[in-house]
Amino acid sequence: MKNLKNYILSAAVLVAFMSCSSDDDNPVANNVTLEFNNTFGATPIVLGDATSASATVNTSDEGQTHHFEEVKYVISNIRLIKADGTEIPYNVNDLDNGATVINHALPETLNYVMSDIPVGDYSEIRFGLGVKSELNTLDEASFPNFYASAGENDTEMHWEWGTGYRFTKIEGFYGSNNDVLSIHSGSTVEGEEGSYTQGVDAYRDITLTLPTNATVGNSAPTIVINADFDYLLSGQSHTITLGESNATPSIHTAVEMTKFVENIGGNGTTDTTGMFSIQSVEN
Amino acid sequence: MALFLIFLNLTHFKMKNIALLSVVMVLFMSCNKDDNYESIPYNNPELELSIPEDFPLLNNAFYSNTPTTFGVELGEKLFSEKRFSANNTISCATCHIQINAFADSNAQAIGIDGRIGLRNTPPIQNLAFMNFYNWDGSKLQLENQPLVPIITHEEMDSSILEVISKIEIDPEYQALFEKAFGDDNMIPERIYKSIAQYEYTLISANSKYDRVKQNEATYTISEAEGALTFEQKCSSCHSTELFTDQSFRSIGFPINPNTDEAGRARVTGNLDDYMSFRVPSLRNIEHTAPYGSFGQFTTLRDVLDYFDNGVLDVDNLDPILKDNNNRIPLSEEEKTNLIAFMKTLSDEEFLGF
Repeated sequence: MKNLKNYILSAAVLVAFMSCSSDDDNPVANNVTLEFNNTFGATPIVLGDATSASATVNTSDEGQTHHFEEVKYVISNIRLIKADGTEIPYNVNDLDNGATVINHALPETLNYVMSDIPVGDYSEIRFGLGVKSELNTLDEASFPNFYASAGENDTEMHWEWGTGYRFTKIEGFYGSNNDVLSIHSGSTVEGEEGSYTQGVDAYRDITLTLPTNATVGNSAPTIVINADFDYLLSGQSHTITLGESNATPSIHTAVEMTKFVENIGGNGTTDTTGMFSIQSVEN
Repeated sequence: MALFLIFLNLTHFKMKNIALLSVVMVLFMSCNKDDNYESIPYNNPELELSIPEDFPLLNNAFYSNTPTTFGVELGEKLFSEKRFSANNTISCATCHIQINAFADSNAQAIGIDGRIGLRNTPPIQNLAFMNFYNWDGSKLQLENQPLVPIITHEEMDSSILEVISKIEIDPEYQALFEKAFGDDNMIPERIYKSIAQYEYTLISANSKYDRVKQNEATYTISEAEGALTFEQKCSSCHSTELFTDQSFRSIGFPINPNTDEAGRARVTGNLDDYMSFRVPSLRNIEHTAPYGSFGQFTTLRDVLDYFDNGVLDVDNLDPILKDNNNRIPLSEEEKTNLIAFMKTLSDEEFLGF
């Protein structure tokens, strides 16, 4: 008896579906790829160890040379904005399907493919550098895939004591003696958004206007995003000289951390681009 | 059910399908009737906790997770569960040992594979009355704490799903989860809550100090002298019945060389909090040596000698110390008496002696 009911039910639902889709006009959805270029100015970053001859060496506004051995950051909360202002959020509450760790050492992480983006002309993109507070709880049960990929031994984007994610992890060397720099960011806030009871919010919302519309329809556009790590020490908010007090994770005093966060992620008010810019849109 | 929801969405726009919707709804309802099981009622009474007189207010989180008979039983079992660690060697109770007021006797915590943690293991006592947890106050409610040691590389180096995968096949846990929560679904939140419930029950308020207060015991001369000195020179920070005002203070103790350490500033991003730590409770202090955020001091005498000799002259030194030439002057006799007084804060029943 129950089986029979299920048959009738399936048939009914199927009919309903068919009649609906035949009414809609051409609901084409397609992929949008975000391609991340990590650079110092116009020069692509090449990673290297302390004495590497091939690593890209940058010089800060304060004249301090530095190069990186590791560059990682979390992108989440991605929203595409149509020319008419409509905002299309992309799995913004689902870290498994809407967040990624960009790891400069792994080329496959530099292209983030978003699927089933509704047809339309998009003129703006917003995304988070880091993870917004309500999702930043290392909730392995809800988002096992993101949790696992962020926590892998070669990724190390769990911020254990804060039970959140590392938003950025930059390891490298600075100055003529190649002293170690180790710059991590992450949030330490407690309480509800808007009324935090303590801590520092290292999440930054980035807004970038596209130079030409990304047209989703029969084509699957690629948005090329430049992340210029020259901003780390020479940003819009702060000009930073590295030294004993701020180059290693004692930056977790979060005072120093905040300066790095503002330089690469913006100050959240007048600067909502930080180190990011759109290099091109390929339709 | 998923089909039903999709269907509902579509019909929202298609009035003509409402008739169809009703047909499907009827079918669904009749289906449900066939599959419906009454959940088995379970009896898990709240525990009657005796709240000591004059203690501070309970942490608000307590009221959304009041200890129950089986919640606490489950929490206590989980507290001693070595499968919390990646290689099944470390449980909460490995570092939180009852005879040490649920701290241990290492300078810094020792976790999986002998890895050394950043700080001294804090005692677990009277936490229901605390508003900040950990030496830097990084957590404000106990339910948010158990995940930290589970995932920390130097502690258990595991993950909550790994833990669940190990214990969910254990019939004892299946039975306890059922008793505590009505079914054996081992979701992370239930683990966190039951451990917190157990910890809420760890109340220490039966020391000689308490009995003296209740006129059931009397101090020796040395203890009484120590109590007076304590009142004059210690109680502005070690106040309330918990013997901590739960403030964060920079008191010029030797600094942890680990670059991950910044004290409370690691949490707040405020330089004034650099190397500040929560004032420790002094209850059962006799049994929680060594002392200091990373176990800098072997004995209570060492701590008192340090205060007497003068602390580090740091920029953000607590005003009370600054106003007293960076020291708490103490005669040798005062130190002896203070230690005698502090030993009256030991609660042998709580320590399981």
